[in-house]
Amino acid sequence: MTLTHHLLLGAALFLIGVFGALTRRNIIGILMSIELMFNAANINLAAFNHFLHPEGVLGMTTALFIITVAAAEVVVGLALVLAIYRNCESVYAEDFNLLKG
Amino acid sequence: MNILSLITFLPAAGALVILALPKERERAIQAAALISSGLSLILCGALYVLFNRGTSDMQFVERIPWIPSLGAQYFLGVDGLSVPLVILTALMSFVSLIASLNIKVRIKEYFFWFLILETGMSGVFAALDMVLFYVFWEITLVPMYFLIGIWGGPKKEYAAIKFFLYTLTGSVFMLLGILAVYFNTTPHTFDLLTLLQSHAQWSSRFQILVFIAFYLGFAVKVPAFPFHTWLPLAHVEAPTAVSVVLAAVLLKMGVYGIMRISYGMLPLGFSWFLPILIAIAVINIIYGALCAMAQTDMKKMVAYSSINHMGYCLLGIAGLTATGFAGASFEMINHGIITGALFLLVGVIYDRAHTRDISAFGGLAAKLPVYAGLMSLACFASLGLPGLAGFISEFLCFLGAFARWKVCTAVSVIGILVTAAFFLRMLEKVFLGPFNEKWSALTDLDARELCAIVPLAALTIVLGVYPRPALDLMNTTLVHMAGLFK
Amino acid sequence: MTMLEHAYLIALIPLAASFLILFGGKEDPHSPLPFVGIAAIGWCLVESLGILYAAISGAALPYAQDWSWFSFGMTAANRPFVYDMPIGVLIDGPAVFMLVVVTLVSFLVQIYSLSYMHGDARFKRYYAYLSFFTASMLGLVVSSNLLVTFCCWELVGFSSYILIGFWFERSEPAYAAKKAFLTTKLGDLGLYLALLFIFVLVGSFQIPQIAQFVSRGYMSTAAATLIALGILCGAAGKSAQAPLFIWLPDAMEGPTPVSALIHAATMVAAGVYLVARCYFIFTAAPIAMETVAWLGALTAFLAATMAIVCTDIKRVLAFSTVSQLGFMMCALGAWGLTAGLFHLTTHAAFKALLFLCAGSVIHAVHTNDMRQMGGLSKKMPLTFLTTFIGTCAISGIPLLSGWYSKDMILERVYEHDPRLFIILAITATLTAFYMFRLLFLTFLGTERDKDKHAHAHESPWPMTVPLVVLALLSIFAGALLDHHHLFESLVTGPVSPEIPHPAPPWLGWSVTAAVAASIVAAAKLYGGPHFETAQRLKAAWAPLFHLLDRRYYLDDIFLGLVDLGDRAARLAFWIDSEVIDAIFVDGWGAVARLAAKLSHLFDDLCIDRTVDGTGGLSVTVGGALRSLVARGLAQEYLMYAAVGMSVLAALTWFR
Repeated sequence: MTLTHHLLLGAALFLIGVFGALTRRNIIGILMSIELMFNAANINLAAFNHFLHPEGVLGMTTALFIITVAAAEVVVGLALVLAIYRNCESVYAEDFNLLKG
Repeated sequence: MNILSLITFLPAAGALVILALPKERERAIQAAALISSGLSLILCGALYVLFNRGTSDMQFVERIPWIPSLGAQYFLGVDGLSVPLVILTALMSFVSLIASLNIKVRIKEYFFWFLILETGMSGVFAALDMVLFYVFWEITLVPMYFLIGIWGGPKKEYAAIKFFLYTLTGSVFMLLGILAVYFNTTPHTFDLLTLLQSHAQWSSRFQILVFIAFYLGFAVKVPAFPFHTWLPLAHVEAPTAVSVVLAAVLLKMGVYGIMRISYGMLPLGFSWFLPILIAIAVINIIYGALCAMAQTDMKKMVAYSSINHMGYCLLGIAGLTATGFAGASFEMINHGIITGALFLLVGVIYDRAHTRDISAFGGLAAKLPVYAGLMSLACFASLGLPGLAGFISEFLCFLGAFARWKVCTAVSVIGILVTAAFFLRMLEKVFLGPFNEKWSALTDLDARELCAIVPLAALTIVLGVYPRPALDLMNTTLVHMAGLFK
Repeated sequence: MTMLEHAYLIALIPLAASFLILFGGKEDPHSPLPFVGIAAIGWCLVESLGILYAAISGAALPYAQDWSWFSFGMTAANRPFVYDMPIGVLIDGPAVFMLVVVTLVSFLVQIYSLSYMHGDARFKRYYAYLSFFTASMLGLVVSSNLLVTFCCWELVGFSSYILIGFWFERSEPAYAAKKAFLTTKLGDLGLYLALLFIFVLVGSFQIPQIAQFVSRGYMSTAAATLIALGILCGAAGKSAQAPLFIWLPDAMEGPTPVSALIHAATMVAAGVYLVARCYFIFTAAPIAMETVAWLGALTAFLAATMAIVCTDIKRVLAFSTVSQLGFMMCALGAWGLTAGLFHLTTHAAFKALLFLCAGSVIHAVHTNDMRQMGGLSKKMPLTFLTTFIGTCAISGIPLLSGWYSKDMILERVYEHDPRLFIILAITATLTAFYMFRLLFLTFLGTERDKDKHAHAHESPWPMTVPLVVLALLSIFAGALLDHHHLFESLVTGPVSPEIPHPAPPWLGWSVTAAVAASIVAAAKLYGGPHFETAQRLKAAWAPLFHLLDRRYYLDDIFLGLVDLGDRAARLAFWIDSEVIDAIFVDGWGAVARLAAKLSHLFDDLCIDRTVDGTGGLSVTVGGALRSLVARGLAQEYLMYAAVGMSVLAALTWFR
C-alpha cells in the first residue's frame, strides 16, 4: 500500500462525491455527497501525514478537525433543509432558485 | 522645546484651542488668539535679547529628522538676516489681531485662519530645510486665500483666486528649483546650510536655470515688476488686518528668499541676473510710484507705494554691498511697520465713512486731529522724512547701490519725489482745505485703533532717530554675506 | 569753553520743548505752554551769544565733538566691514554767526507771536511747531555730519510745510505748503545724489574728513563739480534760487511771523549756509563756482523785477528775499565767502524786521493788499519808523548794516567779473525802488480804504519790542561786525584773512548814487495821492508788466511739469491695468480657460465616451449572461465550479 493507492482512493471517493452532488435531486443526497468529498480530503490528509511526515501529527489533527466541523455543518445543513421543506414543500434542488441574481 | 519652535507653533496651538471653543464664545476666541500671539511676541522679545550679535552663524538651531527617506529634516534656526523678520512677523501679527477685534462675522474661522497664517509666516523665516521652507511657504497661502475670500470687499472672490493662482504659479517653479538642487547635490540633501556651500558643484548654466525658477517664486511675492498685479487687488479687497500682514510680512518673504537662497546659493546665476535685477528695481521704484500717483483709492495708493518700496529693497540687494544689504533688510522692517500703520489708518477711515476715495473728503484735520496726526506721521515716514524710520533704510539702499550703479540710482531717486508728491496730495485732499460738512459725524480714533497704531507710530520714530537696535542685529550677518560674493 | 561743550544741547533743548508743548496740556488759546518754548529758545540765545563771545575772545575754532550714532555694514575695496556712523557738532566761524542769527530771530519771533497769534485756536500747537523748526534749524547749523545736516535740512522743510499750512482750513495755505515741500524736495534730489557720491568717494560724511580728502587732492575736478552742482541743486531749492524760487511767494500764506523766521531769516539762508559749509568742494570745482555766481546774479535780478509789480506786501518782501539770497549766492560764487555770509547775517536782521513790520501792518488792517493801505504812518508811527529803517538798510543807505554787506559783495563781484557786477548794481537800484515803493504805498500818501484805515492801530508791546530790537540791529550790526574786520577774521579764521583788494573808490559811490536816484523815482511815482505816471508806464509797457506779473511763466512751466507727471502716472496705471494685468494675467487666464474648454470637450467626446461605452458594454453583456447562467440553481453553480476546477487542473497537468 503506497501513497498512490491512498490518493487514488481519495480521488475516487471525491469524484463519486462530485458526481452525487451534481446529479442528485434530493438535497439530503447532495449533503451526503458533500460528506463524501470531505472524507476524500481527510483520506488525503491522513495519507500525506503518514507517508511524507510520519514523525508529525498535523495532518491527522487537521483530519480530525474537519470531521468535527463536518458534523457541525451537517447539523446546520439539515436544519436548512428542514426550513426549506417547510417553506417550499419540496426537497428537490431544482424546485427553488432563491440564489438567482 | 526650542524658543523658535515655540514662537512658530504657539499661534498654531492657539488655533487648535480656538477650534475646540464653541463659536458663540466670541470673547474667549479673541482672547485665545491674542494670548497665543502675544506669548509668541513676548518670546520674540526674549529672542531679541538673547540673540548673539557678534556671530554670523545660525542660532537657536533645532534639528530633528522628519522624513528620513527623503533626508528632509525639521531644521530651524535664525541669523541676523532672519531674526528681525521673525520679530516683525510676531509684532505685526499681534497688532493685526488687535485691529481684527472688530470683525463681526465668522469670528472663530477668522482667528483660526489668522493664527495658522502667523505660524506659516514665522516658519518661512526660521526654516533651514528646503522642504520645511516650502511647506511653510505654502501654508501661508491657504489661510490668506480664505481670509481674503471670506472677509474681503466686493470683489473678494476674484482677488482671492488671483492671489492664490499667482503665488501658486510662482511656488511651483520654486519647487522645481528645490528639486533641481536636491538631485544635483551629492549627497542629495534639502539642508539649506549645506546647499549654500554646494554651488561649486554646479555649472553656470544650471545655476542660471535654477535661479530663474527660484526668482519666479520670489518675484511674485516681492512683488517685482511685472508680477505685481495681484497686489493692488488683493490689498484693496482684503480686510484691513489682512492687508497689514500681507504688506508687512508676506512681501518680505520674497525679498528674504532672494537674499537667503538666490543670492547665497546661486552666485553665478545671481551675477548673471544682476543687470536685470537692477532694471527691475528701478522700474519698481518709479513705476510703482507713478501708479500710486494715479490712484484715487487710498488703499490702492498705499498698495502701489509698497511696490515702490520693495523696489528700494531690490535696489539695495543689487548693489551687492553690505550697505545695500543693510538697507534692504532694514527697509523690510521699516516698510512693514510704516505700511502696516498706513493700512490700519486707511481701514479706520473706511470703517467710518465706507469710502476710501481721496477726493470724497476734505479738511478732516480740523475734525480728527489725532487721526490726522498719525496719518501724517505714517505718510511722511513712508515718503522718507529723516527722523522717521523710512529714511535711513532708503538712504542705505541708495548708498549701497550707488557705488555700482550710478546712473540707475540717480534715475531711481526720482521715485522719492513722486512718492512725496502723491502722499502730500493725499494729505492735502483728505485732511487740509475747507471741511467737508458731509463728514461732521465722524469720530476720532477709539481705544482699539489707538492700541494697534500708536505702537507702530512710536517704533517709526524710535527707529528713525536711533536705528542702532535694528541695524546691530543684522550687521555681522550682512557683512559676512557681502563678503561671500566674489 | 563750557559754552562750546554744551553746543549739542542747542538743538536738543528746543526739540524737547517742542514735544513738551505738543503733548503736554490741552489745546487752549490761552495755554501757558508757549512760554516753555520761549524759555528754551532764550536759553539757546544765551548759549549762542556765549559761544560768540568765546569765539571773539579767542577760543579755538573749529570746535568738534562726535558721538556714535548707528552702525551698518559697508563694503570698501571689496572688503566688507561694520562702519560706525558718527553724529556730532562742528562749530566754526560761519556756524557761530548762524547760531546767533537763528536763535535771536527765533526768540524775537516767538515773543512777537505771543501777540500776533493771540487767541488762535491752535495757539499751543503753533509754538510746538516753531520750536520744532528752531530745533531742526539749529541742528542743521551745528551738525558735523553731512547726513545729519541733510536730515535736519529735510526736517526744516517739513517744519516749513506744517507752518505754511498752519491755517489749513483755507485751501491756499494747504496748496502752498505742498508746493513748497515738493519744490524744495526737487532740489533736494540733487543734494541726495551729492551725498551718495561723497560717501562713495570719501567713505565718510564728516565735514572735516571730507575737507581733508579734498585738500589732499584725492577728489577729481569732475567729481567735485558733480558733487558741488548736486549741493547747489539742494541749496537752490531751499534758498529759492532760479528757477526753484516759485514756492517762496506762495509760502506767504503762512502766518507772518513764520514768514519772518523761516522764509526770510533762517531756513532760506540754509542753502547759502550749506554752500558755505561745503565751500571746500566748491572751490575745488571752478565750473560749479561760476554756476553759483551766475545763478545768484540771475536770481537776484529776476526776483527784483518781479517785486516791482507785486501788490501783496508780503510777496514783495518774499521776492526781495529771493533777490537778496541771489546776492549772497553770487558773492559765494565769486570767491567771496565772507561777503556772502556777512550779507546773510545783516540780511537776517533787516529782513526779519521788515516781515515783522508787515505783520504788524497786516495785524492792524487785516489785508495783505498794499492797494488798500496808504497813510498808515500816522496811525502806526513806531511800525512806520522801524519799516523805514529796514527799508533804508536793505536799500543800502550808507552806514546802515545793509550798506556794509552789500558794498562788500559788490566789490568782491567786481573783482571777479564786471559783468556780474553790472547785474548786481542794477538789482541794487531796483531793490531801493521797490522797497521805497512798498514804503510809500503802505505808510504814506492818502488812505485808500477808509474803513480799514479807521480800524488800524499801533500794535501791542510784544510786537513792537522785537521791531525796535531788530531796527537797532539793522542800523548797527554792519558797523559792529565790520569793526576791525571782526566778521572776516572769525569766518575765514585767523590763519588766512582775505587780502583786501583796493576796489576803485567810485564803485561804492556810484551804486549809492543810483540807489538815491531810484528812491527819488519811487517817490515821484508812488509818493503822491494818485499814481498817474505809474499807470501810464504800466499801460505803455503792458506786455512786460504782464510777464512780470505772471512771474516769467515759471509757475506755469512747473504746473506743466506736474501735469506731465500726472499724465505719466495715468499712463503707468493704464499700462498696469490694461496691458500687464489685462494681457499677461487676465489674457493668460483666458488662454488657460480656452485650453480648459478644449480639453473638456476632448474629455467629453473622446475619453468620457470611451469610459461610458466600456461600462455600457459590460452591463449589456453581463445582463445577457446573467439570465443565461445565473438561474439560482445551486447545483448548476456547483457544476460551474467543478468544471472550472477541472479545466484548471487540466491546464496544470498539461503545462
